[in-house]
Amino acid sequence: MTFSQQKRASYWLLLSPGLLLFSAVIVFPVVFSFSLSFTTWSGYGFPKFMGFANYTKILADPIFQHSLRNNLLIVAISVFGQIPLGFLLAFMLHRRMVKGGEFYQTMIFLPITISPVVVALLWNQIFSASGLITAIVRRIYDDPRYVMTIFENRNLAILPILFVLLWMHTGTYMIIYLANLQKITPSVLEAAQIDGASESQMLGRIILPSMIGTIATTAILAISGSLKAFDLIFAMTGGGPAHFTEVIALYMYTNTFKYYKYGYGSAVSILIVLLAVGLILILQTISRRIERNYE
Amino acid sequence: MRTKQLLLTVFVSLLLFPSLVFSAGTKESAAKTTDDGVITLSVYHYLDQTDKTTAPNFAYLVEEFERKNPNIKLQFEYGYGESFHDKLQTLAVSGQLPDIILLYPGKRTSQVTSAGLVKDLRPYLQGHENEFADMAMQAQGEKGEIWELPEDISITSIMFTNNRLLKELGLSLPKTYAELLAQGPIIRKAGLIPLSIANKDAWPMQSCVAGMLLERTGGMEWFDKAIAGDARFDDQVVVDAMEIIKELTDKEMFSPGTNQLAYGQGLDDFVNERAVYFIDGGWTVNNMVGELTDEQKTYMSLESFPDVPNQKGKSLSVSATAGQGFGMNAKLSDKESEAAWKWIWFYSGPEGSAIRQRFGRLPAYNLSEPSDADPMIKKLISFAGNVPMGYVMDSVLGAEPIGTFNINLQNMMFGTMSPKQVAQELETMVEAIDRK
Amino acid sequence: MTRNVTIWKILSYLIMITFTLLTILPLIWMFLNALKPHALIVRNPLMPPVSFYVLNFVRSWTQGHLGVYFSNSIFYSMVSTLITVFIAMGSGYALSKFSYRSSRVIYMFYTLGLLITVHSVIVPLFIMETKLGMANTRLGVIIPYIAFGLPFQIFLATTYIKGIPDAMQESAIIDGATFLQVFRKIILPVATPIISTMFIYTFLGNWNEFILVQTLTSDISIRSLPVGINSFAGGMSRDYGLQFAALTIGTVPMVIFYLIFRDKIAQGFAAGATKE
Repeated sequence: MTFSQQKRASYWLLLSPGLLLFSAVIVFPVVFSFSLSFTTWSGYGFPKFMGFANYTKILADPIFQHSLRNNLLIVAISVFGQIPLGFLLAFMLHRRMVKGGEFYQTMIFLPITISPVVVALLWNQIFSASGLITAIVRRIYDDPRYVMTIFENRNLAILPILFVLLWMHTGTYMIIYLANLQKITPSVLEAAQIDGASESQMLGRIILPSMIGTIATTAILAISGSLKAFDLIFAMTGGGPAHFTEVIALYMYTNTFKYYKYGYGSAVSILIVLLAVGLILILQTISRRIERNYE
Repeated sequence: MRTKQLLLTVFVSLLLFPSLVFSAGTKESAAKTTDDGVITLSVYHYLDQTDKTTAPNFAYLVEEFERKNPNIKLQFEYGYGESFHDKLQTLAVSGQLPDIILLYPGKRTSQVTSAGLVKDLRPYLQGHENEFADMAMQAQGEKGEIWELPEDISITSIMFTNNRLLKELGLSLPKTYAELLAQGPIIRKAGLIPLSIANKDAWPMQSCVAGMLLERTGGMEWFDKAIAGDARFDDQVVVDAMEIIKELTDKEMFSPGTNQLAYGQGLDDFVNERAVYFIDGGWTVNNMVGELTDEQKTYMSLESFPDVPNQKGKSLSVSATAGQGFGMNAKLSDKESEAAWKWIWFYSGPEGSAIRQRFGRLPAYNLSEPSDADPMIKKLISFAGNVPMGYVMDSVLGAEPIGTFNINLQNMMFGTMSPKQVAQELETMVEAIDRK
Repeated sequence: MTRNVTIWKILSYLIMITFTLLTILPLIWMFLNALKPHALIVRNPLMPPVSFYVLNFVRSWTQGHLGVYFSNSIFYSMVSTLITVFIAMGSGYALSKFSYRSSRVIYMFYTLGLLITVHSVIVPLFIMETKLGMANTRLGVIIPYIAFGLPFQIFLATTYIKGIPDAMQESAIIDGATFLQVFRKIILPVATPIISTMFIYTFLGNWNEFILVQTLTSDISIRSLPVGINSFAGGMSRDYGLQFAALTIGTVPMVIFYLIFRDKIAQGFAAGATKE
């Protein structure tokens, strides 16, 4: 065997198990989904070809539009909430601004280890009208009929979920940034400090620029995760009340499994992928431009 | 040009793809007969195994059956809640339907029954039809088929009443809707909930309230016409019924935050005597047997919702449906079908029904009232014998119209939709999906 | 200058303590309620338990078959995690150090895989598995677990291995080592930090997975913990005491697991997120 033959053989040998499994379990069903998305199919008999009818119907559906809006809010809370907050926390821990940083670090990351189902049930017991917060307020004001109206507002009902998501995922980003901050040579920061730079100046001029690559990478994870958001919301509100907290993945689930519209559901999942690809492309353009500015 | 052709070929083959997968035949039934003549049947059942009342009761029934039929072995798979239906759907689509399946009489499992995947039970049932409540023997298929043998009659709109609290407040059972509304301020002033109902899951308001109100405002004749398409779901009678729900909401008659309360909270508030009335289905009697104290059982009664203005339906009517029951896979051989029928008949027939009645259910099979039953069960049986019955909406309308309607009721309660709009959208959905 | 630092310090403590309380309080509350009978929780969710009602744990453990589910969870998580990490390392090596043109395409392919939800493939997957006789078997659970773990793990592995200097590989190759030997003797040892991150991350994901097990299996004997816990969450059963006990049983092992491997996670992330 020549060297290049050996190289090529090793290459495919290393790749093949992954490709095989990935194709069988994910690619094959997705292709299936894609072709189904142009049809109506209730699960029996032959699918009927519909062209783009499913797609136009979905885009015109107000429930889908509201789900999309909620999903974009989740993307926003990830990109503009979890990431900056995680970064800030990492910065604070790295600059040793608190005593016992190790302990706080553990506590902030802890929610990640808990199953979304458990997290949802836990927070439901806290937020629900028969739960903790209501019980406290009812006691304080001695008003047995008090309920939080935020959950019954079409625009605001998503807020508690955003809050739980922020609580749940900030830790992941904090850990990633913390690790990367450790790669910045300490002498650079020391030199700046001697020159009289404040913490905020160090953050803005030295630390942030060196982390742009990492931030862009984590933003991709944040976007793809946000658009897929399902487990937590399914277990917390099921999209309710009245679709106020609906997200696209849930919308797809309802149409497929409750209304038996496989073609329609498939079209929704294809839209999720398209949307994510679009957002990620935008993100990459922006981050490339910022990086160029710093160079 | 060549790339264009290539793309076209790929596209077309992708479209053909699903049919390729699904034309590939379906498997034989899973039933197995061993050498010693023991038949093993797979059963898919709706059961929450952590339910402290239902799960042990069901286990007892199975034990009894297997003791009496040593040559039939049942292998159970359980599901509950939405995942029961998700899994049933997946099993059916992939041709993996178990030998015996729990099915629903209305539209909930019609995807399975109308696809010819299960057997018509009429040949087996012949001669026993009169032993069941009439409601249970109504046709389930287009040609009058009976796909499943209903186990119970479900009354979905019982107004459970705490007579001790009523008396304490100096009130009596309201005869009319106006009287009920007038009681609201008095009950609330005492720090209590007038009408306990937990609607987070969105189906209770439809299943336990809306259907009953429709019968009251429209009457059964109108209801039948509307289903057939000769009347419409946006007729004034529907709007009237919706207005009642809206008014009950606006006048704070329901549990505070009802749309945030998980199902079960309604019963909790009633059992803990924080509510005077509680609207739910007859199935909760099952839980009440265990959760109410003996003393409580003396002053809790089962009632109907009071008369509404311009009532065209019957006074005191409730919404009711023949419940779910077991059906069998169409692919079973004669011998296997016989074994499967043995279980179905045991469960919904005289033996199983007698056992289930003692557990607090209301069997579809006609039984005499047991003398040793729990007081709540006796109350349920006598209630069922005395009230006129109308339709439960989710057993006569399809999954999607009902799913949308449930949500719209919530919208209406929040004020994001008007009663008129709710009725109009219901009509549109039923017209587009159910009446085609 | 000092004033500036003080503001930062106050802000830091504020945020850190808020986060910590948000994490600790609900968990303590969950644990305390798990020690109360249902009736007491309903009457007053805030009150601490008067006596330790351990029966909740006993009953949720036996009624919910949590014992069987627990050992299944360990089995699925261990086996599929080991295989996922191994395959991902191999793929990561191939994609980062061989510089073939196909690498880019395959890498893109996996990145798209990050976007696929389980629900959009579950029906075709179930049909496939039943046709192959793999539904309701342990293998039928493990294979999708591996496949769904791959995109993110390959993402981590590739970025990390890219950061290992080419020189290490080149000198070994000049000495006559094959690429597989390089993978085994150089890449794997150097990559231990990322391997532990990948391991922990995948393990957590598999441990908490719900939908696949729920759909692809039907026997109690092969289902896993989240299915068991979820069955306390809804339906008609409303025993909050049991629910809290089940939640505690589901949460505690992972918290302990995390506390043990905490340092590894931090280390591994440091390595994993290295760009370039």
